[in-house]
Amino acid sequence: MSRAAAGVALLVLAAPAAAAQRVSVIVGPQFALASYREVASGLRYQGTGFGGAVSARYRKLSAEAGVVRLTLDPAAGSAATSGFTATEVNAWVAYDVATYASVEAGFIRRTADPEFDAQSVGAVRLGARSFYEIGPGATVLFRANYLAAPKFSGGGHARFSIDLGLGLDVRLAGRLHGTAGYTFQRINRKTDPGGTGEIDAPIQGTEARVGLAIAL
Amino acid sequence: MTRHLHALVLLAGLAAPGVGGAQTVQNATLRRAQQAYDNLEYRQVVSLARAALRERLTGPERARAYELLGFTYGALDSILKAVDAFKQVVLIDPERQLDPNRVSPKAYSAFDVALRQVLLVRQLRVDSASFVGGRGAVPIRFTVTQPARVVTRAIGGGSYVIDSGAWNGQVNLSWPARLANGDPVPAGNYTVVVEARLGQNTFSAAQPIRVSHGSVDTLQALTSLPGYQYLPETEVPPQSWRPLGLAFLYTGGALIGTLGLESSSLGSSSKRELAVVGGAALVTGFVMTLRKPAPRPAAANILYNRLLRDQIARRNQDIAKENVARRQQVQLTLVPLPKPSAGPR
Repeated sequence: MSRAAAGVALLVLAAPAAAAQRVSVIVGPQFALASYREVASGLRYQGTGFGGAVSARYRKLSAEAGVVRLTLDPAAGSAATSGFTATEVNAWVAYDVATYASVEAGFIRRTADPEFDAQSVGAVRLGARSFYEIGPGATVLFRANYLAAPKFSGGGHARFSIDLGLGLDVRLAGRLHGTAGYTFQRINRKTDPGGTGEIDAPIQGTEARVGLAIAL
Repeated sequence: MTRHLHALVLLAGLAAPGVGGAQTVQNATLRRAQQAYDNLEYRQVVSLARAALRERLTGPERARAYELLGFTYGALDSILKAVDAFKQVVLIDPERQLDPNRVSPKAYSAFDVALRQVLLVRQLRVDSASFVGGRGAVPIRFTVTQPARVVTRAIGGGSYVIDSGAWNGQVNLSWPARLANGDPVPAGNYTVVVEARLGQNTFSAAQPIRVSHGSVDTLQALTSLPGYQYLPETEVPPQSWRPLGLAFLYTGGALIGTLGLESSSLGSSSKRELAVVGGAALVTGFVMTLRKPAPRPAAANILYNRLLRDQIARRNQDIAKENVARRQQVQLTLVPLPKPSAGPR
């Protein structure tokens, strides 16, 4: 049995218990679009991918996680010669501090394959988000996270790293939801290759995810 | 015509008091005495009435004969004799009453003096009453014509003393119809007996009554308070552009953030991702603007309903306690029964 199938089975088994505890869980697959730039404007990639997301809420506590696997190819006019595959895992735990706002913490981990074709990144997320129900079953979300203590596969450090997000969750019919999410990421990575002095090696990416989800 | 009839009846009443009693008169001598009284032949009335009293008469006839004597002696200014005659009348018929508007003042005053010289219990009345045992009483009224020791009892399954005291004139008593231990008297037929004693003289009057038991009505639990109604706990806000405005706000925030944070060295990033998600948010906002807004909780109404529910619950608790007490109570109903018809005396 694959890991994905095991995860789905676990969610299905956990659903009645979650309902009994008044925990609302939404889970579903997503299609992703992404663009990625690194070091210089000439090194840019675009691609698509698939993933999944799950979110849960219990009173003022909420949690969210998503995984997406992107196939990024050099964009038109890019200096890159070959593409790579990125796998990105994100997770958040949030606590509502007001009716429309919550503070959150989590992590991000993005790995590249082949390993040295792009930077793999891991960081802690600290931030806040605002959400508002704009209509029956329709919620928009805006998120701003500081990516603390980032680690890169190629070394280096980044004092300024930020992640902005826009989210949308619409109940389409019954338990069926439509979800969409946008992420803009900017990491001011600096590196010192060979001890010759610190140079800028920024990373910037945008990602859109659109999918369907089932409320359990 | 009706006025003339009334006047005729009045005149007849003044001329021949107790004309109603004449209808039951069977004795011929008494009838002649009545006729003589109607003809104002007072000497003849006296001799005929006395002759009739020596004959065999029924109780009403005997009372009638003495009444004719009383009126006649009154007309002849023999007040003492009139008083004596009226004393005999009230001893035979204690409930006898004279209408001061229809008899002469002399006769009426003689009758009044006679009443005060004879020990009688008159006009015994027991009113109908219905009350919860221990929370009411049945009124009993009577008149004692002389100062006397009066004992009032209810005699039925047992004998219950209602009152014992020295009374004169109009007496008003109330009987709670309870036993000494506080329980209501058993249901059944009773006779209220009023016995007056003055020296060797005694007189008693009686009135039958029926005592019945019933259950006390319990109160219905309240589902609402009169004049107060539950209010809807949700309200539909008026339709507005707010959903689209919020979608613009959030999408605009993401766009401004993206533009503001783009690295100058990496150049402008792709906007297609933001276009997809931002477009979806704006379309959703627009659709939600056109849709009927979702009902939202009306805090004031919820608070009002909670207060109303609390109030009703408190009232129902009181009603439940009251009903527990009521189920242990007895509704007593006392009804006077007709007196058994008096036979000839």
